[in-house]
Amino acid sequence: MSPARGGQIVASIRAEPRSFNRLVARDQSTDLLTFLTQGRLVRINRASFDLEPWLAERWESSADGRVHTLHLRPGVTWSDGMPFTSADVLFSVQAVFDRRAQSVLASSLAAGGQPIRAAAPDAQTVVITFPVPSGPGLRLLDQLPILPKHKLQGALAAGTFASAWNAATPPAEIVGTGPFVVREYQPGQRVVLDRNPRYWRRAPDGAALPYLDRIVLEIVPEQNAELLRLQSGGTDLSSSELRPEDYAPVKQAEEQGRLRLVELGVGPDADAFWFCLKPEVKGKDPRFVFVQRPEFRAAISHAVDREAFAHTVFLGAAVPVWGPVTPGNTQWFWPDVPRYAYDEARARDLLAGLGLEDRDHNGVVEDARGTEARFTVITQRGIGWYERGTAVLRESLARVGIAIDVAPLEFGAMIQRMLACDYDAMYYRPVFTDLDPAGNLDFWLTSGSAHVWNLEQRVPATEWERRIDTLMLEQAATIDPERRHEQFNLVQRIAGENLPVLYFAAPRLYYGHSVRLRGVVPSVLRPPVLWNADSLSVAPGE
Amino acid sequence: MSSFLARRLLFALALVVVVSSSALLLARLAPGDVTAELGPFAGAAEIAGTRARFDLDRNPASQWVVWMARAARFEFGDSFLYNRPVRGLVLRAAANTAVLALAALALATLVGIPLGIVAGSRQGTGAAVIRAASLVCLSVPPLLTSLLLVFVAATTRWFPLGGMTSVAAVGPSGPAWLADVAVHLPLPVLALALPIAATFERLQAQAITDALRQPFALAAVARGLSARDVVLRHAWRVSLRPLCGVYGLAVGALLSGSFVVEFVTAWPGLGRLTYEALRARDIYLVAGCAAMGGVFLALGSLVGDLLLLAADPRLREAARARSGERQTA
Repeated sequence: MSPARGGQIVASIRAEPRSFNRLVARDQSTDLLTFLTQGRLVRINRASFDLEPWLAERWESSADGRVHTLHLRPGVTWSDGMPFTSADVLFSVQAVFDRRAQSVLASSLAAGGQPIRAAAPDAQTVVITFPVPSGPGLRLLDQLPILPKHKLQGALAAGTFASAWNAATPPAEIVGTGPFVVREYQPGQRVVLDRNPRYWRRAPDGAALPYLDRIVLEIVPEQNAELLRLQSGGTDLSSSELRPEDYAPVKQAEEQGRLRLVELGVGPDADAFWFCLKPEVKGKDPRFVFVQRPEFRAAISHAVDREAFAHTVFLGAAVPVWGPVTPGNTQWFWPDVPRYAYDEARARDLLAGLGLEDRDHNGVVEDARGTEARFTVITQRGIGWYERGTAVLRESLARVGIAIDVAPLEFGAMIQRMLACDYDAMYYRPVFTDLDPAGNLDFWLTSGSAHVWNLEQRVPATEWERRIDTLMLEQAATIDPERRHEQFNLVQRIAGENLPVLYFAAPRLYYGHSVRLRGVVPSVLRPPVLWNADSLSVAPGE
Repeated sequence: MSSFLARRLLFALALVVVVSSSALLLARLAPGDVTAELGPFAGAAEIAGTRARFDLDRNPASQWVVWMARAARFEFGDSFLYNRPVRGLVLRAAANTAVLALAALALATLVGIPLGIVAGSRQGTGAAVIRAASLVCLSVPPLLTSLLLVFVAATTRWFPLGGMTSVAAVGPSGPAWLADVAVHLPLPVLALALPIAATFERLQAQAITDALRQPFALAAVARGLSARDVVLRHAWRVSLRPLCGVYGLAVGALLSGSFVVEFVTAWPGLGRLTYEALRARDIYLVAGCAAMGGVFLALGSLVGDLLLLAADPRLREAARARSGERQTA
């Protein structure tokens, strides 16, 4: 039976959209609105992670992987009726790399640090040229929403693109090629989106998409209130996955037939623990002598029982991990990454090998000069699993003689301390922007702004980091998928042996939605359900 | 009277300037800034651009001077979170909070004062129950009250769970919109009004007990007036003075209570806006919200003073006497 046409669903989001222009805002609500209102040339299917044709219906790529000729889908129009052409694609690429536009996508759409180029032989063809061979290739274009030239070219020319389509823009001005159009935005309350009658996509049976007439995004900033609304039927779904502590009440609601609980899978990101290893800042700290040694961090890795960690911190809904790439990232997960079994005796031996012993019998090991292995760990205040995670770490490390004090901080203060390396150690979940490692060079490269343990180095501080730099740059510029995997597995091995960041468990993600919602294809990536909004429907008669 | 109002206006202006400037400077000097909202790994150019847009590249004093110069023209800068001018955001949120606060104040007055009169003028089980209920309402923090009420609403479905209007109210006509807002009011209004009603009840009960011990009340009883007349026609008027004094403070309590109540019940008011601004360190929004909070406090204080003036003839006489002295001089 084909899905019912019509009806509306209500989803909750926790924050206002900062803009309707994804090129200049990266917040989660803006990203979600972009999914609902705009199209891309190609799309990464959030469930299979495969690359799919979208506004471009097919393409050819050159042998060296640098030049891609994309053929646009004929007959596509913007929601205001204007035709969609290659000029819109050229405009969008131009806007991303216009300095005055200050686009947040500029770095992620570059290859080898240089912008991609776009040309249009005709109205239905676009040629995208990468300055260097690119491993991810066209997958990078999944991040680029194509914006209407006829609406925004004036702002780009006037240098006001950064503020164009801000949250105060009248909804009628915001046009797109996505399944929905913005009907109304009531700040502090909701965003209402109506079906785009000119949407191009058809269901397999030829029916026009989307099925739904309307999606309402209710702004509910408090997470407990968000859960209560879901449980009581006030909303059909939330914009993000459930917290571990929400699993039980949603499961109960499912047993009562009020909600449906969906396991999305293992999350692609894991909680991480690391020390600031910046020699310029920490070099004079007497603890740096042993903190910089991989054996010290290996001792910590051995000291933590990951099964117990998953059970306590994520209330059982997690799997042990030893590296940044979790089993949730099915394409790049490598099961042979170095593992450190739970072994307190081995941890004590490693510490003793570094000269760290409990000489004064106060329960904390110290080196020959009397410097204790005592650290303050900063984490984000108010997040249940961070608080539980640091509590488990404190207990685990105390058993091998390492003392940690936990300092939960407000997000802004924590980030400021992190950027200034004004901390001993940190417990936090850095979220990768891309499942493809070439999309996360900021994390892997020593010059990267997300190289958390030693940010933005001018020259690599260690030999193994230099090796990772080389491998990652090669990997990002390699076309052959097998070769890319070999290179990245080697990177994972080097990182696993040197342990700049320690990982203990990756959460299993769960999602709750109303029983009337149909067509749900869950994804571990955000948005977990609304990425597929054009195929969602509600049960007939509801 | 006009000089009284002029003094009050000057006080209000000073209050708004001091409160908003303090908020701006404290938000600036506290660790971290709004660029944290760009995420932990935002690029240097994006961070620098954001800092320049919000004058965070200036020193705090220079930023304050720039902001004050703009504020004098009623331009309070842009909000980072909402990406639009602060003025419109704050005015809209203040109007929403005013609706909530006035309804809560009215409910607290209508419930708290009569119960206070009963509890203060009578003995027995009824008075004891009222006292106990007030103590409970005073002790429970607004966060718990609002979560409890949201839970009750979720269980019983008597009220909407939150928000100011329902999804169905998209694009309604005036009366329909008002009716929809009225349906959403009970939950946040109850959460806000209960502790204030309890405060009023406790104050009113104590004041009326004190008034009934005064010689004029004993004389009225001796003249043979009924207990009801003694309480309502004589003791109550006298007992109003301490109550009027706390009306101004009640506005402050409504504002502080609205932080958490508006957050939990998703009411798009000033409390929630302030909370979000503080959490994100959205500096100009923090200052704008604080300025509006100052306006509310000044208004509350003015209303309290006017009520006091209306309730206490001795104050009116003193005001007249001062006015007469100035004219003679």
